[in-house]
Amino acid sequence: MKNKFTLMLFASIALTNLFISCDKDEDPELIEEQELITTVVLNITSDSAANQTVRWNMDTNQTPTISLQANQQYQVSVSFLDESDPADTEDITEEVKEEADEHQVFYEFSGVSISYTSGQGDVSDSANNPLYLNSIWTASSAGTGTARVYLIHEPTTKTSTSRGGFGGETDVEVDFTVVVSE
Amino acid sequence: MKHFVPLLLLILSVSTLKGQSCVYTIEGRVLDLHDNTPIFGAIIKIEGSDLFGQTDEQGYFKINQVCFGQAKLVVSHISCDPIDRTVTIRSDVKLNFELEHHINELSEIIISDDGLNQVNSSVNESQLNADQLTRLSNQNLAETLNSIAGVSSLKTGSSIAKPMIHGLFGSRVAIIANGMRMQDQEWGADHAPNVDLNGFESVQVVKGAAALKYAGDTAGGMILLSPERINLKDSLYGSTVLNGVDNGKGGSINTRLTRSFDNGYFISGHLNTKQFGDRQAPEYNLTNSGLKETSLGFRLGRTKILKGWEVNYRRFQNSTGILRSAHIGNIEDFLRALESNSPLRIEPFDYVINSPKQEAIHQNFKATYFNQYSDRSKLKLDYNYQISNRKEFDVRRGNRSAKAAIDLTLKTYDFLGSIQWKKDFEWNFEWGVNALLQDNFSNPETGVKRLIPDHQKYQAGTFLTGNYRPSNNFSWEWGFRFDQVIIDAQKFYDTSNWISREYNIRYAEFEQKDFGTQILTNPRLNFSNISAQTGFAVGIGESVETTFSYMLTQRAPNVSELFSDGLHHSLASIEYGFIGLQKETSHKLILGINTQNKFLSIGIDPYLNRVSNFIFIQPSGVELTIRGAFPVWEYQATDVLMWGWDANAKINLSENLKYNINAAYTYAQDILDAKPLIFVPPFSLFQQLSYTFPKSEIEIEMAHRFTATQSRFPDTNFRVNRIESGVIVQQEVDISTPPNGYHNFDLYFLLPLAKSNFKSTLRLIVQNLTNASYNDYLNRLRFYATEIGRAVQLQLVFNY
Repeated sequence: MKNKFTLMLFASIALTNLFISCDKDEDPELIEEQELITTVVLNITSDSAANQTVRWNMDTNQTPTISLQANQQYQVSVSFLDESDPADTEDITEEVKEEADEHQVFYEFSGVSISYTSGQGDVSDSANNPLYLNSIWTASSAGTGTARVYLIHEPTTKTSTSRGGFGGETDVEVDFTVVVSE
Repeated sequence: MKHFVPLLLLILSVSTLKGQSCVYTIEGRVLDLHDNTPIFGAIIKIEGSDLFGQTDEQGYFKINQVCFGQAKLVVSHISCDPIDRTVTIRSDVKLNFELEHHINELSEIIISDDGLNQVNSSVNESQLNADQLTRLSNQNLAETLNSIAGVSSLKTGSSIAKPMIHGLFGSRVAIIANGMRMQDQEWGADHAPNVDLNGFESVQVVKGAAALKYAGDTAGGMILLSPERINLKDSLYGSTVLNGVDNGKGGSINTRLTRSFDNGYFISGHLNTKQFGDRQAPEYNLTNSGLKETSLGFRLGRTKILKGWEVNYRRFQNSTGILRSAHIGNIEDFLRALESNSPLRIEPFDYVINSPKQEAIHQNFKATYFNQYSDRSKLKLDYNYQISNRKEFDVRRGNRSAKAAIDLTLKTYDFLGSIQWKKDFEWNFEWGVNALLQDNFSNPETGVKRLIPDHQKYQAGTFLTGNYRPSNNFSWEWGFRFDQVIIDAQKFYDTSNWISREYNIRYAEFEQKDFGTQILTNPRLNFSNISAQTGFAVGIGESVETTFSYMLTQRAPNVSELFSDGLHHSLASIEYGFIGLQKETSHKLILGINTQNKFLSIGIDPYLNRVSNFIFIQPSGVELTIRGAFPVWEYQATDVLMWGWDANAKINLSENLKYNINAAYTYAQDILDAKPLIFVPPFSLFQQLSYTFPKSEIEIEMAHRFTATQSRFPDTNFRVNRIESGVIVQQEVDISTPPNGYHNFDLYFLLPLAKSNFKSTLRLIVQNLTNASYNDYLNRLRFYATEIGRAVQLQLVFNY
């Protein structure tokens, strides 16, 4: 008698559990990636030339070209966007500004000789280090090369002249072709 | 191979040595089969000699001066017919007899040796007993098993380790806890099994799919964890173990208590808590390598020889820090970490566990019922519910680090029912069914693409196993198992990936709903797996035993192999599953030669494993992302040949001085691509020398481990374009070359404390005695930091 009872109890626990679990869930929810950066936009203005807006986009995946003139000053402002939902573009640059201490923008050039300084409207962190969201670029000679844009998360230092020097994790690393004319 | 021949010679020479001396003891107990009461006055006689023993009021007996070789024991008691059983005496033996003495017509006895029942007599197995487990109570499962030849661990940093058997891990190694398979997302390489050994009394490792009852897809092997065996008498007992370790400034407290009654009822519980701060490598602090763990469990039941039931609950929770420096953004970050001699972020010691980290909660509820309806058949039912939650936290922007980037909940309902019966004493059979239902939910709140999709898995299996044991010197085992596995997943693919891989043509029927950039699919995959096993154990002469076993296993690809989709933050790689994977089939042959006498025991187990459709992950190309180019690793299948051997020898140099050595080698080759397989353990050797002082019972033990350099590895290097002083330089990232081999020394002291009612001991354990700085090939974070340095541990054990 007692045996049968134990058996029945056992079977009923097992069955109940099986039935509970058999309810098939509804369709899973679509996940909107929250930290995604899909696009890097450089807005380049100067007194002498027409404005240029170049975009590096994850989907098109092409290296856009920036045209500069040697020994001219250019105001370059960089923005990071999430365009994964075309109807709702998010400007990640705002997040970077809010967490200025944890972020750093850095430019590296190859094949061309370009120097940059902090520009008007740039944001600084709590230790007064410029983030270079707005910068002024000057090319010293003509040539063709690459401009590499970095957004660094939690750098170990905020003042360096090489990517390695900053440490931290790379959140963005995209290349633009640069053509500098005389 | 060069190690093989001398060992074989040694075995042969030992086998010709005959143990002439009559120095062995047989002791044990005779109990009533029904109510487990001791039987007083039973005579145990060795036939053909004048040696005999008589049980005392507690049922105990002892026979001294037993000779080496076969002995036929005759057990008799006033109210039963005499019963006999032949055993081979190679060492001191403990035997328990359970005598049916109420009913005269039944003359059944059950013999069990003092240890655990062997899972399969045609496959050699390795065990760790309660004492060995206590000593290692501070460590995780994989580390604990490292002293067994052929078992290694695949690690992620200093505290996450997965057991590896014969070079295989993950889904190819089953962990059977208290008779049911653990279902805790065993698929990810960087996730340790959610189990605390402190809740168990012994561990058995069987290489290969030797116990088809539990699973038929484990080409690597099985790890069986058994809970404490309950004393069938009125008693209250338990133990408390305290551990303190200087490295990581942490330790653990673990306690267990059992109350048992002579009518078979018992209740027992255990509680373990463990905490460590940052561990120290010889040269630096391993920032964010802390660990917090709590586990508890209880068992309640009634056990008698003929029937019993038990309910069991276990809960395991941990939070494991992952080395901060191992969280990187892209391959250039990775290259910088590789070029640096020390981690790029070193902060002062701390107990706090920050992101990146893993958090796991695993709960396990189990009910068991068994009934031996007659002396020949036994029914056993097991029901198991497991719920496993795994969260992984990354370093994220915008205060999102506190939000898990991976949040998976896996629920498993598992039923195992079996009937055992025997024909005479020689033939044993077991037939059973196994049904499993699994549901995985990936929490969308993470804001990160799902690594593992939502899915259900249904599995139904049936098995038939048997053995024939006509004498103590011969046994034949065989078994079959059939499993039907259905995986029903709901997965979002990036539309671009879905199209570029032509899945839209090949798997159009799975398409469910188009969300523009993503597409929802409902793949339903069906696999039929057949497993079989057969083997022999043959005794040659009196001191040599040989075993031979063949195993066929088939394994359905797991969900991560099929559908993985995500970025690996510490390896700078993108990992993709492959929906088109087919089942994996393995043929494994294991031989075993063992010889044993009072002074020396030697064993060698060579094996051969041919796997077709072996599923593994390897680099398949490069994907350009906003963070630069990333190597893409994709699950693929190939044919693999593996062979190797495990060997061990134990020498009793004197009564008090003991030496133990074991070694293992594995060769693994991808046959289709003619290249070595990745993550194959290199040759390793482990030796122990221990001395026990005769009077004080103080023990000193020195252990040495040598791990060779793995010289066989595939080239998985990739290139990166780095700008150096205004010029783009292409550089190779050497992710393939294994680190150099290393030696590691451990020291153990055991001091028995004052002999009172408590059997208490004090242990001093020093691990990595020389504070050696080394890297291990099987640690996936070896690029970032060395292994932990010297650790001095003090352990206090109270038994009551």
